[in-house]
Amino acid sequence: MNWNLYQKELKRNRKNLMIWSAIVIAFTLMITSIFPYMKGMGDDITALMDKMPPELGKALGMDANTWSSILGFYSTYYGIYIIVLVSIFTTSTGATIISKEEKDQTSEFLMSKPISRLDIFKTKMLALFTLSMIMYIIQTTVALVSISIFRGDPVDWDVFAIMHVNGLILMLFFTSLGVIISMFVTPKKNFMGIVVGITFGSYFINAIGQAADAVNWISYISPFHYMSFIVNESEYSVNYLSAIVLLAIGAGVLYISYLKYKKKDIVG
Amino acid sequence: MEAIKTNKLSKYYGKSVGIKDVSLTINKGEVFGFIGPNGSGKSTAIRTLLGLLIPTSGSATILGHDIAKEGKEIRKKIGYLPSEVHYYDEMSSRELLLYSSRFYGPENPAEIERLAEMFELDLDKKITDLSFGNKKKCAIVQCLIHEPELLILDEPTAGLDPLMQNRFFELLEAENKKGTTIFFSSHILSEIQRLCDRAAIIRKGEITAVENIQDLLEKQMKKVRLVFKEKPIDLKLPPGSQHEKWHDNKLNFEYVGMVKPLLQFLNQLDLIDAVLEEPDLESIFMNYYER
Repeated sequence: MNWNLYQKELKRNRKNLMIWSAIVIAFTLMITSIFPYMKGMGDDITALMDKMPPELGKALGMDANTWSSILGFYSTYYGIYIIVLVSIFTTSTGATIISKEEKDQTSEFLMSKPISRLDIFKTKMLALFTLSMIMYIIQTTVALVSISIFRGDPVDWDVFAIMHVNGLILMLFFTSLGVIISMFVTPKKNFMGIVVGITFGSYFINAIGQAADAVNWISYISPFHYMSFIVNESEYSVNYLSAIVLLAIGAGVLYISYLKYKKKDIVG
Repeated sequence: MEAIKTNKLSKYYGKSVGIKDVSLTINKGEVFGFIGPNGSGKSTAIRTLLGLLIPTSGSATILGHDIAKEGKEIRKKIGYLPSEVHYYDEMSSRELLLYSSRFYGPENPAEIERLAEMFELDLDKKITDLSFGNKKKCAIVQCLIHEPELLILDEPTAGLDPLMQNRFFELLEAENKKGTTIFFSSHILSEIQRLCDRAAIIRKGEITAVENIQDLLEKQMKKVRLVFKEKPIDLKLPPGSQHEKWHDNKLNFEYVGMVKPLLQFLNQLDLIDAVLEEPDLESIFMNYYER
């Protein structure tokens, strides 16, 4: 771990972090603050849900109860948008944190300094983790405060905690994918397309699998299947085995990325 | 102890050769030249020594440390000046130089200030606003601030105006007197002649010769252009002359050998003008090393 490089990475990504945090904060506030109005329409919406094809409800993780509690309401948006938005930020940061130096050809400067490739990799990963956690903690705090304000009825905070643990694991998993993509995809252009594709894509694969029983299996390839946000299920809990497996895959992906990075030729 | 010692160091890019079986020994305190035309493998050799490229085969030590295993130790003691400077656009020169110096130890703003003044570098300008030459100056300061034991310079004068080149050479001579070893890569022979004790010549990735500069001078070809008052009859050129060409009363030829016999020969002619030119490296290779 190299403190000099670590500080530099945080500073370099500061602006991006602020912009994305602002988006995610605004979104969290918007969802939670509209809940009291939605709740007022509860009966109408329940009637509407009854008329909707049940597959659509399942795909979106909604049922009649969704509209009656703030956590039910928040969870549908948390699962679709917030985690995907947070992951797009962390994954794209992961994809660029090393590759930007190669694209801008500054890796020649960095690697001619007295620092080993392992130190560079570790330091950059730690900076990436720091940035991701700042983002995650900001969002969770804002959600916590905002839900407390707009909840109306008492809230089961355990459910909130489970949701956010699941979100954290998904975020870390996607972030590690960002790193490995940047190691194997050339030319080092804009990774945003791939990143959005993977995060939103895995969400939709899961949604399709849940909606249509015929292609139920498809949801098994999506990490969203294992880290569920359907909070109204009777036994909603963290799936620890899946969590460990996803984190282990993430760690393995980072290790492969390091092996690739260690042997990389820096051609000017 | 040797400053740099390479043993059959090779680097292939797929099937194409970067460098092949490079074996060099550079002593401590020496100013060693590395000459070759563009694309001959100079930068590949340097990048391999720095650990930017992973060698295909062979080995090397720098200041007694193995390049494959102790890169970090080596780079503490090296100052590297790249041929093309790519720095962080959003930083100012001062920020970059402070950032760079923190990799070696505590910041040394006074030394940065002193060197920047010497090279007339505006420290507050952003890297992205710097011209090619000014980026080079920033890189020069960057490679000197931590007082390295070994300087590796890859075409250091490209982009510098003659005044700065001169200042830079004077600084290098002073550093060398203090004991700094200098590895100087260039495709300009006169630079190498001015600074270096010995030089290696690299061509198509292979070392073709390691010469004392003195010997190189004697073997060096010169292009001679003479303008006569009247075209002489039966002119006998001195030994070592070749490729003579006449245009009316003008004569062009190439000369390889000691300079004295050539001057004696010129002295006895009835000339309006005489020009002795240093040929480009490529023609030295063509004319000398392939003979």
